[in-house]
Amino acid sequence: MSAESQAAPAVAAPACGRTIGPSLYGLRPVLLPLATAAAMLLAWQFAAVLLRIPSLVLPTPVEIGRELWRALPALLVEALPTTRDTLMAFGAASALGVVLAVAISYSPLLRDMLYPNLVFFQLVPKVALAPLFVIWLGVGSPSRVAFAGFVSFFPIVIAAAVGFAGAEPAALRLCRSLTASEWRCFMLVRFPFALPAIFSGMKVAMTMAVIGVIIGEFISSQAGLGFYILNAGSRLDTADVFAALVVLCALGVALYGAVALAERAVRRVYGRH
Amino acid sequence: MPVVEGNHCIEASAVSKIYRGGTPAAVEAVSSVSFAVPHGQFVAILGPSGCGKSTLLMMVGGLEPVSSGSIVIDGAPMTGPRTSIGIMFQDPTLLPWKSALDNVLFPIRVLQRPVESYRETARNLLERVGLDGFEHKKPHELSGGMRQRVAICRTLVYDPDLLLMDEPFSALDAISRDEMNELLLDLWQQYRKTALFVTHSIREAVLLADRVLVMTKRPATIVEDLAIPFPRPRAISIGESREFNAICAHLRERIEESHDRPRSRRTGAAREEPAP
Amino acid sequence: MALLEETGRQSDMTPPARWARGVLLPLGFAVLVLALWQIFCERMRIPPILLPPPSAVWAVLRDNYAILLEQALPTATETVVSFAVASLLGVALAVALTFSAWVREALYPNIVMFQLIPKIALAPLFIVWLGVGEKTATVVAVFIAFFPVVVSSATGLASAKPEVLQLCRSLAASEWQTFRMVRFPYAMPFIFAGMKVGVTMAMIGVVVGEFITVQKGLGYIILFAAGAGETATVLAAIVLLCGIGLALYGAVELAERAVRRWYGGEMPVGGVI
Repeated sequence: MSAESQAAPAVAAPACGRTIGPSLYGLRPVLLPLATAAAMLLAWQFAAVLLRIPSLVLPTPVEIGRELWRALPALLVEALPTTRDTLMAFGAASALGVVLAVAISYSPLLRDMLYPNLVFFQLVPKVALAPLFVIWLGVGSPSRVAFAGFVSFFPIVIAAAVGFAGAEPAALRLCRSLTASEWRCFMLVRFPFALPAIFSGMKVAMTMAVIGVIIGEFISSQAGLGFYILNAGSRLDTADVFAALVVLCALGVALYGAVALAERAVRRVYGRH
Repeated sequence: MPVVEGNHCIEASAVSKIYRGGTPAAVEAVSSVSFAVPHGQFVAILGPSGCGKSTLLMMVGGLEPVSSGSIVIDGAPMTGPRTSIGIMFQDPTLLPWKSALDNVLFPIRVLQRPVESYRETARNLLERVGLDGFEHKKPHELSGGMRQRVAICRTLVYDPDLLLMDEPFSALDAISRDEMNELLLDLWQQYRKTALFVTHSIREAVLLADRVLVMTKRPATIVEDLAIPFPRPRAISIGESREFNAICAHLRERIEESHDRPRSRRTGAAREEPAP
Repeated sequence: MALLEETGRQSDMTPPARWARGVLLPLGFAVLVLALWQIFCERMRIPPILLPPPSAVWAVLRDNYAILLEQALPTATETVVSFAVASLLGVALAVALTFSAWVREALYPNIVMFQLIPKIALAPLFIVWLGVGEKTATVVAVFIAFFPVVVSSATGLASAKPEVLQLCRSLAASEWQTFRMVRFPYAMPFIFAGMKVGVTMAMIGVVVGEFITVQKGLGYIILFAAGAGETATVLAAIVLLCGIGLALYGAVELAERAVRRWYGGEMPVGGVI
């Protein structure tokens, strides 16, 4: 994405600098996509009304908005267990993932032993294991936390391991030449160098944790947004499904945004690299 | 090579470039620069990093629009890129998946000329720059100097009238750089094309050029237009002569004079590369 | 997810002696885990409904392979079809984004937004629209696998070096020439990175789709067997799923290697998310 933002405007900038005033120019990257989204919603609304699409198949945005307003208290109650499970799963996966990555980065034997197996697990469809977690841990929250943690653990471990391995060799040599302890080398060099990779792993992990919890709720739960969506779907209350989806999307973006914000704060502390 | 008698190849009058014009963040990268280059002359534009000399070169090449002023090439006002101009960049910009020969032939493919009839030309050029036997190597198998040689061949293969070179050797080590300078002197002796060569190396400018234009930052303008008296063909050994060093010292003085604080480099303020 | 490629490339470069260690050690570790699992189940007398020993899973695979393969066929077909469709659509949209700055600026942020939200939660809607059947699982999978391919390909198509693009402009190359000769080849690594994520996503989509809709396929077998307490069958079906996933991933990997050879040495590693 960074390459996109650097290279793409080279074509567009000269033309639009003149057609749009300088004050609007800065806002264009924000306004244009928002306007597009709004236009699509409008088109949806008109299409649904003009083509008389039954609201069972595709409710209009206005209907969804009304439903959202009506069901919001219930949806927020359902969002609570989903959020809690996601955060617990993400926290556990992050902690375990980074710890294992540190271990891997310090022991070549451990790395050679585990890393290919981790990559293997990264590739296989882990969601298929969801029913097993229900067998092991029951239909309650622990099985979903464990499953979501399991799913989001692998991206973190792999990203962090790659990050720790990618520390500037010259900086490490400098650190050792100053006879710093291994611990100080880690805190001063390896860890800061690995931060961008860890955060990119955490961003993937956060989206995976939400997905894990939702799938868990699809197949086992009696509460949570996933349960609500499946339930509304089986009642063929499509507007209600969409209302729940809006809340879920907001939740997903908010959780992702929290990781992105944390990354920004940490980057400010360590300087950009 | 077609030569229009009595006419200048490049005529730039009062050329300016302002980025983000009309906003408080406006940056004047080039400020009312005028110069003319006759056909067959090798001109070096010398200046510190970030003084806007690359921007000027890109405007001459039609890759950047001018904010004000005009550029006339071969009697025709510049409106956009034209294929009578060959450009070399600091980076060799070879395509990593093409062999050296195919990289040289890249402009021929873009210009949709018959590739087969140029294959021999391309081979000869590669041989001319000492790369015979490397035609089928890919860029990652070549050294930095070799890659830049391929880039030279790529620029010459479609026989442009005007060569624009944007610090083409500044990323090379000192030894390769000397070799490349020698090669360029040699090639220029043979082809005698009009050339505009941007560099921040005083010695390189004096060694290669018939004429040196000194550009400075703030205001980004030309402060000196100096003819270099050495006869051609030149050998790289003229760099040891007293006269050569005197010219270099003079140019250095002119550059430093025009700075309030010598060697001060404001980062970020006026980037030399054309900012998007 | 793309980060792990880097390490994959490093292991390519290791000499044969290390290669043996790189392959045998992780395999040995996996075998060790299986052996411990077997012994653990036998010694502790773990009820097979909780955790069957590997030998029991093998027995299911051996005795019921005809039934399992019959169910694996629709799953494999759905996965391949959805992955192919998602890749084609994704690359096509990315190309469209490259050619129009307006389209790009209008759509790209919205696409990235979709990348962040838990799209799997939309699965019940597809049941409303398409009914319960193979088609639904396929469409869900396309929908999920599509976004990583678009984002990664669009990033790749914008990643050509600015100097090379300037070179093209100085030769008065047409947009199409620039695209064909420069932008697309430069994007290859990114397109492959996106497709690799797409493969795993398509797999997830198909499995989840089968969880909630279909009356056949490995996802259905897993859920059905889990409900019946036949955990060994669940694991056997998962083994087959892993087989399908790895085969497809391997096919993409092989295609990438071929392109890498054509590309020459320093093909950069594409990144997603």
